[in-house]
Amino acid sequence: MLEIKDLHVKLADEDREILKGLTLSIPKGEVHAIMGPNGSGKSTLAYVLAGRDGYEVTSGDILWNGESILEMEPEERAAKGVFLAFQYPMEIPGVAGLTFLRTAVNAVRKARGEPEMSTPEFLKYVKEKAARLKIDMDMLKRPVNVGFSGGEKKRAEILQMEALEPTLCVLDETDSGLDIDALRVVSDGVNAMRSPDRAMLVITHYQRLLDHIVPDRVHVMVDGKIRKSGDASLAKELEKSGYAEYQAKAA
Amino acid sequence: MNVAVLKTKAEQALSEAFSAAAAELPGSADIRKLRLDAIGRFGALGLPHRRVEAWKYTDLRNVLKEVLPAPKKAATLTPADVDAALGPLAAVEAHRVVFVDGRYAPDLSDLVADGEVSVASLATLLDSDTSATELLDASGRDDDAVIALNTAYAADGAVVDITPLASLEKPVLLVFVRASADPVFVAVRNVVRVGEGAVASVIEAHATLPKAAQDFQINTATKVVVGKGARLEHVKCTIETGGGVHLANWLTELGPDAEYNGFHFTAGTGVARNQVGVTFAGDGAKIDLSGAFLAREGEHIDTTLIVDHAVPQCISRELFKGVLEDHARGVFQGKVIVRPDAQKTDGKQMAQVLMLSPDCEFDSKPELEIYADDVVCGHGSTSADLDEDLIFYCRSRGIPEAEARALMIESFIGEAIEKVGHEGLREALEALARRWLRKAEHKERAA
Ligand SMILES: Nc1ncnc2c1ncn2[C@@H]1O[C@H](COP(=O)(O)OP(=O)(O)OP(=O)(O)O)[C@@H](O)[C@H]1O
Ligand SMILES: [Mg+2]
Repeated sequence: MLEIKDLHVKLADEDREILKGLTLSIPKGEVHAIMGPNGSGKSTLAYVLAGRDGYEVTSGDILWNGESILEMEPEERAAKGVFLAFQYPMEIPGVAGLTFLRTAVNAVRKARGEPEMSTPEFLKYVKEKAARLKIDMDMLKRPVNVGFSGGEKKRAEILQMEALEPTLCVLDETDSGLDIDALRVVSDGVNAMRSPDRAMLVITHYQRLLDHIVPDRVHVMVDGKIRKSGDASLAKELEKSGYAEYQAKAA
Repeated sequence: MNVAVLKTKAEQALSEAFSAAAAELPGSADIRKLRLDAIGRFGALGLPHRRVEAWKYTDLRNVLKEVLPAPKKAATLTPADVDAALGPLAAVEAHRVVFVDGRYAPDLSDLVADGEVSVASLATLLDSDTSATELLDASGRDDDAVIALNTAYAADGAVVDITPLASLEKPVLLVFVRASADPVFVAVRNVVRVGEGAVASVIEAHATLPKAAQDFQINTATKVVVGKGARLEHVKCTIETGGGVHLANWLTELGPDAEYNGFHFTAGTGVARNQVGVTFAGDGAKIDLSGAFLAREGEHIDTTLIVDHAVPQCISRELFKGVLEDHARGVFQGKVIVRPDAQKTDGKQMAQVLMLSPDCEFDSKPELEIYADDVVCGHGSTSADLDEDLIFYCRSRGIPEAEARALMIESFIGEAIEKVGHEGLREALEALARRWLRKAEHKERAA
């Protein structure tokens, strides 16, 4: 279970608070969605969960399976099952996709006390997943994300997620940039990962994604705080009414 | 002018030791005369120091305080010893020719003379052939004290001849193993001649046995002549471990329409200077010079290029990438001369360095001397730190920080290593870079 308790986060080198007392719990087995206007702090929350530098938690806590992760390094969190699919996946020139993925998979397996995979084992493992996500193996021989289209990058993120077998999946706008077919492929991938021992947080702007990945809860985030929570129907309401009502309240 | 210039102890020793050494050095009377002229030139020039423009950042007078003796007796090595010294390079399938402490070791070498390529020992040729003076020829570079010393003292080396129109399947791998447990001074001269229209790869690997002395002085020079329309990939891999001094020269001459792909990989040497001089003897030749250098602690690696475009329509490309840690120092000097006749010259140069510590230093000096008007020449130089966003991306995938950093550095270096055409060699160089980055050699050295 993920428990975020009254979390206050500011930029490390600026006196600007981005998350202003955010509280949110996601039990295992559930998928929650966060929607909210641009700049409300959704990606910031995602980065703070993953342990990125540049943010300072001034108060509050994040517990994953009852344990605070605030002091953990990003790689320790990954070993504990935390995974963030980036809103803007990064390009790594000079590192082949497969090399990167194998290094990551084996690092995580090692940290989890599982045996590392041999190259043939790994290739077989990835091939199956890539085929389901309609990712060409040749693409993975190229440097990580370099020259990939927006949609290809997002699919590659989901491949990484599947390969690393996380238990807390945070997807930051994974749907943006995907064409209609790719949205289905990615959603199927995410749905296939739904399981009683996995919690998921899906950040999105569009109700359309939530038709494919039906969330257990939907939260509205405005100005660094959850302003309203509801079931899947809340997303449909937002589609009609927008955020004006919440922004007025937050101001 | 006052000729009574004060000589340093090392300069004096190098000049004085010559007469005793000369008796042992191979070669007929003509060659002895050539050597005598060379030591005379060295005497006049002295060791280059920081007030000599080309040696501004590598003060040899300061580096070479003492002169080490020549090796006494060549050690007897097994092929396994050579493999161990070569590390990942041992896996490269090649015609292997081995030199131990600068001396040809026939037992460890594949004798090559198959109609396409022949490799002989310089010492043997100098002793047997009275007209062999051209093997020690370094004309045009008479002003270089290090080359003069090489000509005077060169005791052995490889003479590689590639038959016109031959297309070598395997590269020729010249291995120079340092084995002596006593610190020694070794001078090596190689000659590589690629016949018209031939295609070949020649690798020079300078490696060290674990028990060899930490201190050493190596002066190696390779004269390269690439014939009309021939293609040569020439790679030098310097993985000498220890705190010695490694001075290297390539003297390359390209015929018309020749293609020359030169690469330097240098890691783990106290002070190394790789100097590459390229002259174009005919129109339409192409060169691609690139390299990777890795230095930590107090190591110092200097890459100095002198590319002399004397004829029209030649293309030169240079890409060097370095990684500096601790208080290591990197030097890159790229001199490109475009003579008045060298119209339509196309030259591009780039040096990029990752500075991983606030105490390291990188000196970059591009020098363009352009006397022709219809040319395209450019150069650039960057030094940077690692991209922390990319490191976070790796870490968020569970890759530990040190591993993530190594991966990023590897990819940085990889862009230069990609220039090597031979796949097996490229993989070996990548493995060498990885080994260096994972500090394996570091630990071995400490142990
Ligand atoms: N490293 C940073 N430096 C400066 N400002 C930042 C930084 N990170 C976030 N911010 C600011 O914090 C606010 C929240 O940004 P964040 O990216 O979390 O928004 P978001 O909800 O993900 O928006 P979007 O829907 O556009 O993706 C914005 O005003 C943004 O400019
Ligand atoms: Mg965002």
